[in-house]
Amino acid sequence: MLKTTYQYEQTAARLVVEGFPDLSAGQSNEAIGILSSWRLQLIGAPELEGTRDHLEALMAAVMPYARHRLSGVQRRFGLEDGFVSIAPDQANHRLELRSSREGVEPLQLKLDDAELADLVRCLDRLRLDNRVKLTWTFPEDRPLKHQEIVDRIPLQKRLGPPLLAGVALAACTIATAWLVPLPQGTKETSPAPAPVDKPETQSDR
Amino acid sequence: MTEAPAPSAPTDGARLSRRGVERLDLLLLTIEALDLNGGEAMVWTSQQMGLQAQFPNRVELWKRRCHNPLRRTTRRDQLDPVDAESLICLVCAMADRLYPMLHQLLSSREPEQLTQQRWQLFHERLRDLIEERMNPRREAVVRLLTMEPAGPLHRQLISTLAFCAGPGGIDRLRATLLDPTP
Repeated sequence: MLKTTYQYEQTAARLVVEGFPDLSAGQSNEAIGILSSWRLQLIGAPELEGTRDHLEALMAAVMPYARHRLSGVQRRFGLEDGFVSIAPDQANHRLELRSSREGVEPLQLKLDDAELADLVRCLDRLRLDNRVKLTWTFPEDRPLKHQEIVDRIPLQKRLGPPLLAGVALAACTIATAWLVPLPQGTKETSPAPAPVDKPETQSDR
Repeated sequence: MTEAPAPSAPTDGARLSRRGVERLDLLLLTIEALDLNGGEAMVWTSQQMGLQAQFPNRVELWKRRCHNPLRRTTRRDQLDPVDAESLICLVCAMADRLYPMLHQLLSSREPEQLTQQRWQLFHERLRDLIEERMNPRREAVVRLLTMEPAGPLHRQLISTLAFCAGPGGIDRLRATLLDPTP
């Protein structure tokens, strides 16, 4: 059985996957149903390689990160003790890769927006390639929850306007209380009763 | 699990919110700022994608884009979901076509002075287009006009196009346009 190799290139990134067709599943000779290895070359970074598990971990971290980045949500993706994680690093992105071999230090790559876009496009091509018969486990692209959108706005910016409005309202109330004169207090003692002229009646005459 | 989306043919579509339509039209405006012949290129690309039923000419495309409430000439009715899906596919295809330019703007490996000049040029073109097409009495439009070159809003627009370029970006762009308004 011949090994099949497919290559996906995008400017600064090159992803190469190698594998064999799963003949028991009736796949054609040009298909990859069993992934034997993959290599990722990013300009200015050492070549990365691994097994299917590593590639799945890369896909599961990078794709949701890119999706959230589009909505302005910047947070870490990938398990703490997993093979791959990606997190924002100031204006760039920090891709961390951990080897399954013991004693190997994690590798950290700093990617700018352009390099991350290249990587995302390579992964997009791989997952959309009909010849590669693999299933990828990462969440489907969906609209974010309201709370996630709200959380991207800093607390100071979120609470600032209502706080300012509250302070302004309180200041207005106090100013109004000082400026508008209160009505004079009424005396407790009741005024003397006015003399009432008795109407003359016939009996008085 | 994620399945491969259809590369170009619009599906049943997505009903975009007012904010979603604003963002979609702004992305199309960004494409026009990057490509001087962007209007014609959009019609040509839509025909290549088999979307001539939706956008047979520039006028029909312009009519769909007028659903953006920030425009000088705006339409009150909602954007049809099929038209919205077609516009999303069009943005992704145009971003794919312009990807080398997007890459140049976002890359930190390019010469700094050249990058600044590119951002400045993009900034001027986008500002001119916004002044020409958008209603300057809207607060959101004033905010767009006061953007700094290579500022966060500019970078957000360009990186959005870079991350949604090509057929793989359609689902991502649709999802982000359907985000709830904060």
